Amino acid sequence: MKKSLLILLLTVTAGVAFAQTKTDSASTDSLLNSLGGSEKSEPVIATFKSTRLILSQTTETVKKNNLNFLVVHRFGDIGGTDGGGKTLWGLDNSSDIYIGFEYGVTDNLDIDFGRSKFEQLIELGLKYNILHQTSDDHVPVAVTLIGRMGLKPYSVETNVFDDYTNRFSYLAQAVIARKFSSKLSLQISPIFLRNNLPFPYIQGNEQNIFSLAAAGRLKVTKRMGIVFDYAHPFSSFRKNSTSPYFYDASGVGIEMETGGHVFTLNFSNAKAISEMNYLADTESKWGKGQYRIGFTITRVFDLNKKHKGTYK
Amino acid sequence: MKYIALILLTWFSTNQVGQEIYVCKNAKISLYSEAPLENIDASSAKAVSVFNATTGDLSFSLPIRSLQFQKALMQEHFNENYMESDKYPNATFKGKVSQKISGTQDGTFAVNVTGVLEVHGVKQNRTIPGKITVSKGVVSLSSEFMVLCKDHNIEIPQIVFKKIAESIQIKVAATYEAYKK
Repeated sequence: MKKSLLILLLTVTAGVAFAQTKTDSASTDSLLNSLGGSEKSEPVIATFKSTRLILSQTTETVKKNNLNFLVVHRFGDIGGTDGGGKTLWGLDNSSDIYIGFEYGVTDNLDIDFGRSKFEQLIELGLKYNILHQTSDDHVPVAVTLIGRMGLKPYSVETNVFDDYTNRFSYLAQAVIARKFSSKLSLQISPIFLRNNLPFPYIQGNEQNIFSLAAAGRLKVTKRMGIVFDYAHPFSSFRKNSTSPYFYDASGVGIEMETGGHVFTLNFSNAKAISEMNYLADTESKWGKGQYRIGFTITRVFDLNKKHKGTYK
Repeated sequence: MKYIALILLTWFSTNQVGQEIYVCKNAKISLYSEAPLENIDASSAKAVSVFNATTGDLSFSLPIRSLQFQKALMQEHFNENYMESDKYPNATFKGKVSQKISGTQDGTFAVNVTGVLEVHGVKQNRTIPGKITVSKGVVSLSSEFMVLCKDHNIEIPQIVFKKIAESIQIKVAATYEAYKK
């Protein structure tokens, strides 16, 4: 009795095992899936192609031991009294030129240095990408904090710079960006600007300006996109001043990437390139023809040790 | 008789006779291409693989984002511009091994695996040569093959074509362990 029971059990078990052979061949797939494969949550990369759009800085930072070299140029007014054929629509003039270096201390922290023609402003800053957007939307936005210090080293006849601290400006900014799709990325950034000496130096101008900037990119192809930029300073002096008039800085352009280079070709009414300058002093207006062609060239150099093959 | 039957019974029920399934959670996959300006090489140790020795089914899945490049910018461009890893997060291969391999029989076997290779969302029928080694119950596999960018609709723009070779060499190495349910 016991023996036959055992044999019966044996047959059943063996039968079950045999039957599973058939079904399991199809379940290799599900087994593969259960092993993992892609991570559920990855940090979103390449929200923007470069550390800058037209006027704004983006949330992107230069990666560790990489050096980003920037040349930013703004030509003269296309129209109005300074534009037209006699200046080849502004190409004869340069409103501002910025040459900058950005070095990645870590993948998320950059140290930035640059110099503008406008006000001969020298800037030193830190940029820290504190939060990465994740693919599962657990973190919906990327956040980068920027702190910059500016110095105006030029000599003046007046006594405004008798106190050396009057030459300094400070900027604190948080950039909040979201990559909505592989094509569309938008960002918004509150900016606090402090000029120890109000700039421009006019009766009634404020030392502290709070601004809000919005910018974005819409990719047309994988390597080319449309970029736009807008900044509004909340300043009652700028709002009410009639001599001169102040306007919000804005720009629109196209962005192209070719390997290590990113080119931006743009139009903007702002004459200056640095936030410290264009937030405080944009006196040119689109409607008066006071907008210009500008371009940005960035080139990333990888300073990591000579590329060694990891392929074995 | 009773004891033999008991032993067999235990063996059947615990060991799932006929189901020789091997898994690998840390398969190494590397890619390499030589180009006039810049060599491209990247590797990942995060691919997963399942080998069913009974049926001969062999499959691989590689998360594209897990491929590590030496140059950060190259890695970003690889994911963003070439592989579009947000849309196509994995590269997979699902095939059948040409000859029967058993985990109980030691030896080195040169095999062909015929199946479908899916990269960048494009499926290609491929027969890929490889080597399966069985040693004391440990199954390992290695393979080397080429993937053509154009086969998988991976566009290389004219302006950067000198930097990137049109064929990429892939190396695979996996050491399996028996799968326990």
